[in-house]
Amino acid sequence: MNIKILDSWLREYLQTDATAYEVAKQISLTSVSIERVEKHKDDFIYDIEVTTNRPDLASVNGLAREAGTVLPQNGIRAIYKPLVLMHEEKQSSTNNEIASSSLTPVHDLLKIELAIKAVNRVCAVVMDVKIDKSPEQVIERLETSGIRSLNNLIDITNYVMRVTGQPTHVFDYDRLGGTELTIREAKTGEEITTLDNKTYTLNGGEVIAENEKGEIVDLLAIMGLKNSVVTEQTKRIVFFVNNIDSNKIRKASMNLGIRTEAAQLNEKHLDPNLCEVALQYGIQLYQELAEGKVVSPIIDLYPHASEEKQVVVSLAKINSVIGIDISAEKSIDILTKLGFQVQQEEDNLYVTVPTIRAYDVTLPEDIIEEIARVYGYHNLPVELPSLNTQQAIQQEKNPFYWEQRIKNTLKYWGFTETYTYSMIPENLYEGPLNEAVTISNPLNEEFVYMRNTLIPSLLRVVSENKSYEQVKIFEIANVYQKRQNKLPEEIRMLAGVIKQKQISFFVVKGYLQQLFNDLGVNNYEFKPSDQGGDGTKIYVAEKYLGDIEILDENLIDFELNFELLIAHASLRKTYIPASKFPPVLEDISLVIPADILTQEVIDLIKKQSSLIVNVELIDRYENNRTFHVIYRDNEKNLTQDEIKTLHEKILSSLKKKWQIKEE
Amino acid sequence: MEEELLRIKNNAISLILEAKSKQELNEIKLQFVGRSGELTKIFKEITKLSPDKKAEVGKKINETKQIVENLINQTEAKLGEKARQRVAHNIDVTDPAVLPPLGHLHPVTQVIEEITNIFERIGFTRERYPEIDFDWFAFEALNFPQDHPARDDWETFFIRQQPDPKHGPVVLIPHTSNGQIREMLNKELPIKMLNIAKTYRRQSDVSHAAMFHQFETLVVGKNISIVHLKGTLDYFVKSYFGADRKTRIRPYHFQFTEPSFEVDISCGVCDGKGCKLCKAGWLELGGAGMVHPNVLKACNIDPNEYSGFASGFGVERVLMMREGLQIDDLRTLYGNKLEFLEQF
Repeated sequence: MNIKILDSWLREYLQTDATAYEVAKQISLTSVSIERVEKHKDDFIYDIEVTTNRPDLASVNGLAREAGTVLPQNGIRAIYKPLVLMHEEKQSSTNNEIASSSLTPVHDLLKIELAIKAVNRVCAVVMDVKIDKSPEQVIERLETSGIRSLNNLIDITNYVMRVTGQPTHVFDYDRLGGTELTIREAKTGEEITTLDNKTYTLNGGEVIAENEKGEIVDLLAIMGLKNSVVTEQTKRIVFFVNNIDSNKIRKASMNLGIRTEAAQLNEKHLDPNLCEVALQYGIQLYQELAEGKVVSPIIDLYPHASEEKQVVVSLAKINSVIGIDISAEKSIDILTKLGFQVQQEEDNLYVTVPTIRAYDVTLPEDIIEEIARVYGYHNLPVELPSLNTQQAIQQEKNPFYWEQRIKNTLKYWGFTETYTYSMIPENLYEGPLNEAVTISNPLNEEFVYMRNTLIPSLLRVVSENKSYEQVKIFEIANVYQKRQNKLPEEIRMLAGVIKQKQISFFVVKGYLQQLFNDLGVNNYEFKPSDQGGDGTKIYVAEKYLGDIEILDENLIDFELNFELLIAHASLRKTYIPASKFPPVLEDISLVIPADILTQEVIDLIKKQSSLIVNVELIDRYENNRTFHVIYRDNEKNLTQDEIKTLHEKILSSLKKKWQIKEE
Repeated sequence: MEEELLRIKNNAISLILEAKSKQELNEIKLQFVGRSGELTKIFKEITKLSPDKKAEVGKKINETKQIVENLINQTEAKLGEKARQRVAHNIDVTDPAVLPPLGHLHPVTQVIEEITNIFERIGFTRERYPEIDFDWFAFEALNFPQDHPARDDWETFFIRQQPDPKHGPVVLIPHTSNGQIREMLNKELPIKMLNIAKTYRRQSDVSHAAMFHQFETLVVGKNISIVHLKGTLDYFVKSYFGADRKTRIRPYHFQFTEPSFEVDISCGVCDGKGCKLCKAGWLELGGAGMVHPNVLKACNIDPNEYSGFASGFGVERVLMMREGLQIDDLRTLYGNKLEFLEQF
């Protein structure tokens, strides 16, 4: 979360000559990021990104305390002037009357009952007040902080929150409907109307306050309710501060969609000790700005007191993690200034963590972070790790090498690469939906199923680029298959689509065949597809690799199992020395029925002799197919007689198997 | 005189071979074999010699003349060929070319390749880990508390499947850090991993796509420190963005690292002075930190003996940061308009 604070406000608690920009820079480098310093009249506004672990810095007082430590570490003079509370004597008199109050508090004005364990602390006090406009300075400080000024009674709650970091609340005492409040968990279906006049149905589990009549009067730690909020007529208030289990607050706030600053702070594990600081400071402000008079004893219910914890860290560990030697004195100095108590015993530091940091600092590493960040990450040197791993990688076994090579090959053949979403809508899913890997909490209807093929996504790209007459696209990405009691299987696929007028199947086959040749994959086969006539199924080493589909005369797609493909890819090359004896070439024209595949004919011809080194189809016209046959003997020149014998052997084999005759 | 002849010959040959045009060649011809050429002049001088010497030198002069003339003719022919070709092909070179096919790789692929090359040079090994993984690898072992917001179903996509008794529900990975866990469980130490993968979050607006990419580094060994993390980040930034760019780390908060950092690089537009595009001279690059002891423990590594660092950055982010691409909606990257893709 981001908060904004006026520079002059910060300087009420921080004495320094540093400019606002210097303060921002040092805080950013050592604590939390001050993302912007904005000029405002004669002043500056800090825009601070408070990380979830440092809610103590979401306050003017906390930020001043931090600056008071980190600025001097970096050679800038700065002194923290802590928030001074007038009622410090009260601290020993919990649940007792306040000495400085001029009225005798009335004990039965307010009773609070805790009906759940999620409450860490509740503080409350009843005060007589006079509603009015806030002074200019308060208005200015709140409005530059992004908080709208309403009246002094409300403004004080926000002012206290900004100074201490602890959200606070104010009720109109006379609208609470009695003297007793019960804090309990909401039941499912209960309704509330918040002070901004919106009605919500509760999910159950929210922390609420209920009055004697059983009406809900507060959604604790998140937002006040309309029925108990102060109005222009308010004469008597309950100033109310609480600390509730953070997880409960976050859940309620997210479920209801009420993301007030109070909720965002309260979900960050604030220190319950802050409640008291906020209460005292609030009382002080009501007295100063609203003619406030305390009329009840202070109620302070504190069932879960925060404790100071100790962490032990060795000096060796500090140096090893930070990477340079930092003296024990330096470490102790930094920690002490941050409010930690440190005892050194031999090579260990025994560090007591202040309650304001108790949630964040629990481990030796947390202590090291405190030392390192204040020492200044920017003051550390830069060095590459010298260690090297033993891991050897053979290029041929590196899938990333092949992936890049294939992508480049396709690119230079004119294909453009797409990145489509892994998640698809129902209409793009192929196959039974109950077998789909399905997202149980989809964001919208577009992203529901994990795709089991890339083709529908690519076809959608084609249709979304309608104005292009020719489209050649490809993608390499995972598809997902459901498995019983296991993670879904992720299979990397290579898919492409070509849209072109009268695109030939053989052009697409050519791309794949040349791709296989380039990859050194040689044991592949193109087989007729089962459905017949609309494409081919491709096999590598008898395993199914993928297919080419003819969708219509202008549209063809292909999809291959990328992992299987590269498993057969090879960088090994074989060199065969040129033969000393010339080849003999011959064209044989045959009359072959249409149902016999060219590949079958070629295979049969090749099988007849090892002297037949190559057979290719060079022409096809109706039932005639012409094959180009190359004979060669590496030992000697072939004679006319030998060629004739081979030729006859070929013909007789074809005749025997299919009754094929020469043209 | 014979020496003089040799000098003339060498001089002529070298001039002829360097001749660039017919005109130049003609001048050379006149200089050596013309009526008042050097070879003609020297021939006139043999009258001063004794009769038998006269015959010998005369023969040599003739031979030289022959060589020079032949060479002139050959060279002339060559120069002539070129000249004729130009005349024969009267083309307009500004007419359109016949282009070989040229497609385009997606910008994300191009950036991933570059990132991979940079880290491989300093000994990182690229790995690939599941995009759909158990909660245990994506959160639990990474020290995310059970109630952490990232484990809520409004931030992370869950797969409809029975949770595994040991590893919990199945999610689409919201970051590449599950790779840290799998790497540490599967590999011998020391480790230097680069993991680049698709990642998913339940968010879709101008600056977020529900599917995006991250690249993650993980180094685990003895005495790995913040200084090493700084060194590695600095190397990457200088390699990828340019040698003049600076890097800084600031305190931040992540569950799986302690300390945690946010990594900034100096703004390339204002050179770190501060401008509209940056935050006081700096741009946020991503997160990093020292591997949290609980994460090491979850992977059976003793945090007292070993330490490590990790970083996780958005691929799209570094793409947009360097190119200064004026893409107003990140989702354009996955819209697959050819108009867009063909510009890369």
